[in-house]
Amino acid sequence: MSIEAVGITKRFGPFTALDNVDLNIPSGELVALLGPSGSGKTTLLRIIAGLEFADSGTVRFNGSDITDQSARERRVGFVFQHYALFRHMTVFENIAFGLRVRPRSLRPAKSGIDRKVKDLLSLIQLENLSHRYPAQLSGGQRQRVALARALAVEPRVLLLDEPFGALDAKVRLELRRWLRQLHDEIHITSVFVTHDQEEALEVADRVVVMNQGRIEQVGAPDEVYNYPATPFVYRFLGNVNLFHGRIDEGQAYLHDAVDQGRGTNLEGNTTVYVRPHWLEIRRQPNDENHFRATIKHINSAGPLVKVEAVSEWGSPVHIELSQERFRDLQLTRNEAVFVTPKEVKVFDDEPAA
Amino acid sequence: MSMATAVSLRNPAALAPRTAATSEGPLVRWLLTGIVAVFLGLFLVLPLMMVFASALAKGVAVYVASLREPEAWAAIRLTLLAAAIAVPANVVFGLAAAWAIGKFDFFGKSILITLIDLPFAVSPVVSGLVYVLLFGLQGVLGPCLAAHDLKIIFAVPGIVLATIFVTFPFVARELIPLIQAQGNEEEEAALTLGASGWQTFFRVTLPNIKWGLLYGVILCNARAMGEFGAVSVVSGHIRGRTNTVPLHIEILYNEYQFVPAFAVASLLALLALLTLFIKSAIEWRSKQQPAGLEAAANQEGPA
Repeated sequence: MSIEAVGITKRFGPFTALDNVDLNIPSGELVALLGPSGSGKTTLLRIIAGLEFADSGTVRFNGSDITDQSARERRVGFVFQHYALFRHMTVFENIAFGLRVRPRSLRPAKSGIDRKVKDLLSLIQLENLSHRYPAQLSGGQRQRVALARALAVEPRVLLLDEPFGALDAKVRLELRRWLRQLHDEIHITSVFVTHDQEEALEVADRVVVMNQGRIEQVGAPDEVYNYPATPFVYRFLGNVNLFHGRIDEGQAYLHDAVDQGRGTNLEGNTTVYVRPHWLEIRRQPNDENHFRATIKHINSAGPLVKVEAVSEWGSPVHIELSQERFRDLQLTRNEAVFVTPKEVKVFDDEPAA
Repeated sequence: MSMATAVSLRNPAALAPRTAATSEGPLVRWLLTGIVAVFLGLFLVLPLMMVFASALAKGVAVYVASLREPEAWAAIRLTLLAAAIAVPANVVFGLAAAWAIGKFDFFGKSILITLIDLPFAVSPVVSGLVYVLLFGLQGVLGPCLAAHDLKIIFAVPGIVLATIFVTFPFVARELIPLIQAQGNEEEEAALTLGASGWQTFFRVTLPNIKWGLLYGVILCNARAMGEFGAVSVVSGHIRGRTNTVPLHIEILYNEYQFVPAFAVASLLALLALLTLFIKSAIEWRSKQQPAGLEAAANQEGPA
């Protein structure tokens, strides 16, 4: 089931949550709506679900206009951030709910409901907890029950609002891999909202980056990460250093010391972006392409060593290097080093920050 | 979360540890407990015992006869009738008001909340007088009612209206904070799962608020049966016809018929005790329920 949103605008009082948003989600894809809070991602999801209605614009499922249909008629599976399980019902009853409330003519027989719920319980690996109440489950278990409940009604699309937001880091990691596997098995068109770029890049087939009620970029994870369309996308998808820069005859200069040797059509002042792992620390100067920095703090816990330094012009610089390289260099605090940017990013239409 | 932790979260307030730092020495503890005990004994237990003692002063036979006396019996029936109409009416009103206030934002919401409290704030005598001024023979609607041969003041409809007025905050006040705290998510979930409005209400909303609702009904009922002031103004004190139990007690007492007065009063006292018992049972029960567990667990933050 493909999802199409055309010209969606939504205001809450003076606040514009969505500003003329167009989005096309092909059938069977797992798509992430990624953005900071207030970017409109949850509002867009709720408009697709029919839990919120746009001030203007159209929503289509498989090409047919469902803008005026209620959530009940749209047959979407919705998984809420805080699960919204029915607290007075057991896990079994929660999952069966969507089948039990069907009109008599469409309702499966009791044995049919039992079988369906048992299948879903085995899918979420909670067969032996079917008689527990939601309060007696862990966060991860509740989230899986919420997912099973949504899938029980055989929805046309699956929508998940910050599905892993309320879970602790380890459970979150397990559950998102499980969601990815599940999607590979059942291929239902799915959209999930997240503010965690790592989660979006790892799980989704396609990432929609949103900011201030607009879509900044839509693309595969490697596409948005490696070829960010806007400065916002570049900044949101990872840590980044910002430098004042200047472009002169196709060469980018950081401050005015470093020649980056990178061709561009722009001339004049600009902002230059460098990811922390594209900055290399050296003990010796490297021709002209370097700047000086003083190391202020070293954090070597984790797969990468994170170094905070201050550049020769006084601004903070974040650098990441491998544990191996860190051992070779034997860096210490307050040491003066040379830093070489190996890869920088300049956006054509952006003035200096 | 394991089962054990879930249970320990049942009632965080009750299980909140009393640390050495916040507890006082034995002298202060005994002093405070003593003050409360003396106060309760003098002002609550003693009068309550007096009611039953006076009622039974001339033996059980006289007690039973006092209750079976036709005028007393008529008062009891009228009180039951008034409560039987007022309580369901206020359940409907309370649910509607709590639903509207808890689930929607609209202009004048805070005014509505204040208005619901009005019967608590205003003296019952004043509420009774308002009805007299409205529906009485010299009242605004009086001539119109008289023309259609409808009698409200000094008749049963007036008593029912006054009872509804003074009891209407009970159910609504109990439910508003409950529904506000629960939010919309479960209803939204039911909606996306294909439930209709009525299915959502009966299968999701009502089970979540049933203990609060029952609690409100119990308190509302106690007040409806015990109301004196407002009913006194609109009733006209016609013996055997417009006297409710509290009014009947007053009349008997003024006529120095102490045993019958206290016998009928003991019914209201028993009602009060029964109400307190049911209230405690509901409180205990709602804490045993998984719904209570969930609420407690949510207060602890997301698991």
